[in-house]
Amino acid sequence: MTFLSIVSRGLMRRPVRTGLTMIGIAIGIAAVVALVGMSRGFQTSWTNGLKTRGTDIVVSNMGSALTPKPFAATQADKIKSLPHVAAICTLMVDLISVEKADMMIVSARQWGGFSWGNLKIVSGRLPKDEKEKAVVLGQTAADVLKKKVGDTLQLETDELQVVGIVDGGAIVENGSVILSLSLYQEITGNDGKINVIDLRMTPGTTKEEAAELTERINSLVPEAKAVSAGDNIRNSQGYRIINAMSWGTSLLAVLVGVLGVMNTMLMTVFERRQEICILLAVGWRRGRVVRMILWESALLGFLGGIGGVVLGVIGVKILITAPAIKGLLEPDLNAVLLAQAVVISVVVGVISGLYPGWRSSRLMPSQALHG
Amino acid sequence: MNPTRLIFASLVAMVMAVPALAAENAAPVSASQLASQLSALRQDGSSYVRLRMEIKGGKAETLQLQIKQRLTRGSSEVMYQVLFPKERKGESVLLKRSAKGGASGASFTPPNSMRQISDLKEPLFGSDLSYEDVIDNFYGWPQQAIVGTEEVEGVNCQVLESKPGKGDRSSYGSVKSWVDMRRMVPLRVEKYSESGKLVHRIDTTRVVSDAGHSIPANLSVRGPHENSTTLLDGSRIRHDVNFTDADLSAEGMKTIAIPHGAAE
Repeated sequence: MTFLSIVSRGLMRRPVRTGLTMIGIAIGIAAVVALVGMSRGFQTSWTNGLKTRGTDIVVSNMGSALTPKPFAATQADKIKSLPHVAAICTLMVDLISVEKADMMIVSARQWGGFSWGNLKIVSGRLPKDEKEKAVVLGQTAADVLKKKVGDTLQLETDELQVVGIVDGGAIVENGSVILSLSLYQEITGNDGKINVIDLRMTPGTTKEEAAELTERINSLVPEAKAVSAGDNIRNSQGYRIINAMSWGTSLLAVLVGVLGVMNTMLMTVFERRQEICILLAVGWRRGRVVRMILWESALLGFLGGIGGVVLGVIGVKILITAPAIKGLLEPDLNAVLLAQAVVISVVVGVISGLYPGWRSSRLMPSQALHG
Repeated sequence: MNPTRLIFASLVAMVMAVPALAAENAAPVSASQLASQLSALRQDGSSYVRLRMEIKGGKAETLQLQIKQRLTRGSSEVMYQVLFPKERKGESVLLKRSAKGGASGASFTPPNSMRQISDLKEPLFGSDLSYEDVIDNFYGWPQQAIVGTEEVEGVNCQVLESKPGKGDRSSYGSVKSWVDMRRMVPLRVEKYSESGKLVHRIDTTRVVSDAGHSIPANLSVRGPHENSTTLLDGSRIRHDVNFTDADLSAEGMKTIAIPHGAAE
């Protein structure tokens, strides 16, 4: 009998208890995968949306809300003539309830700005001009709002014509209601206000020049902050809170898993006292006994981790079909996150086995005689 | 000490320490001070609010509303207007309450049906809220008492009981508010009839930070009808909006317009 077969036999001795403990860990790890995957997915979706629009730098004021605070559109004039700026596009991006839908991204864009360029028309057309009372819908937005070309859409006090369905190339774009900036400013009463400036740099701009440009913008426009497209959402306090809460909640679930594994391993040590004492009596070193317990708990963690990853991925797939978040984000369930979750689970297993392992190492071979 | 006991004792100490630290932060205030603070936060001048109202149970319906309000110590004027669905667009309700406590109201249904509201207990747009719930400021009532502390969703709250005075024409006998003292937000409100029967329960389901204050953004309203709930989701608020008297008049009810230029 090999060392590993002793380890696996130890776990199979009480299959129900082992199974229940694994389910406990799996739930904790599923929480890690689901919550962290969703919050990272929000970041990825937002960043992909910016990349698709061809944005290199975003100028906005990401406070504690998920959408940036409005500021005067005239601020954009200070930026457009700076070196290395190829083009800018001013926007007003909102996250509001539209008709029966809980929450929709409304992306109002400067007429003729480059942020319109990535939209591929699936059906219908783009608005004729910036004053036409019309919107185009991303494919998912059209799905969520149950709209087709020719329908009307109530946005704030105005009824707008749906003139086109578009493919924006990213989930954020496809989940958006898109219209001209001046029309949205008019219907929301935000005359002369924007909350985002998308900036495209001239080709060949180096990292150093880009950093210098963001610094220049930050000194010229104190109401907002310029960051690279990838850092935009990470800069949001709202996102940081969501991320911290995801990890906090996940770690609580993992803590419950730790206690479960520790309990199971302690019970194992108590129940197998005679066996462990015999192993010591036949020459096993105390370190080897400790290793056996740690391997058992690590294996328990590993199997629970695999189960948790599967459970988490399935859970997320179900979650994203919920009407409240459909079209708003794509979960980021990349291999690194899934591997991290399994590693966390194994580490949890090992940590949980430390105390039971230490208890087993204190047993004396003579205790085998006591039964 | 046995290591198991040590771990257990440490966990117990950690769990006990959290509420103890939270309790230390709350400064004691009297009932009237608390009510007065909540009343002042409510009477925040002129503001514009966008709201989604979802009525569940019975005649289920989702409405998009806009609210124009002027709330001061002297008087309250509130106008609710339906933006969506299309077939109800333009329905408006205007409610006013003077400093003396008298409330009145009118409702408008397009194209030209205007009527005075005779019973403030009527439901607002068929929801679980009545006109009275919209215009009442029970934190301004003369009888206020702190009747205990209780947790709501893990937050330790002071329970404030408000009772109307003789001059306050309210159909309610008392109102209890579970107030989160740190954020100064009622997390739950229960309204009782004069016979002590629970008529309404309003739960705050989301709190947001707005202009340095915490405000309830999402509410769930239950009662008086069983199996019916109204969910209110606030999506936008603007302060210091310059409303004219005409905006908050019978004529103003006939126009669906959004105020321009106010701070968001």
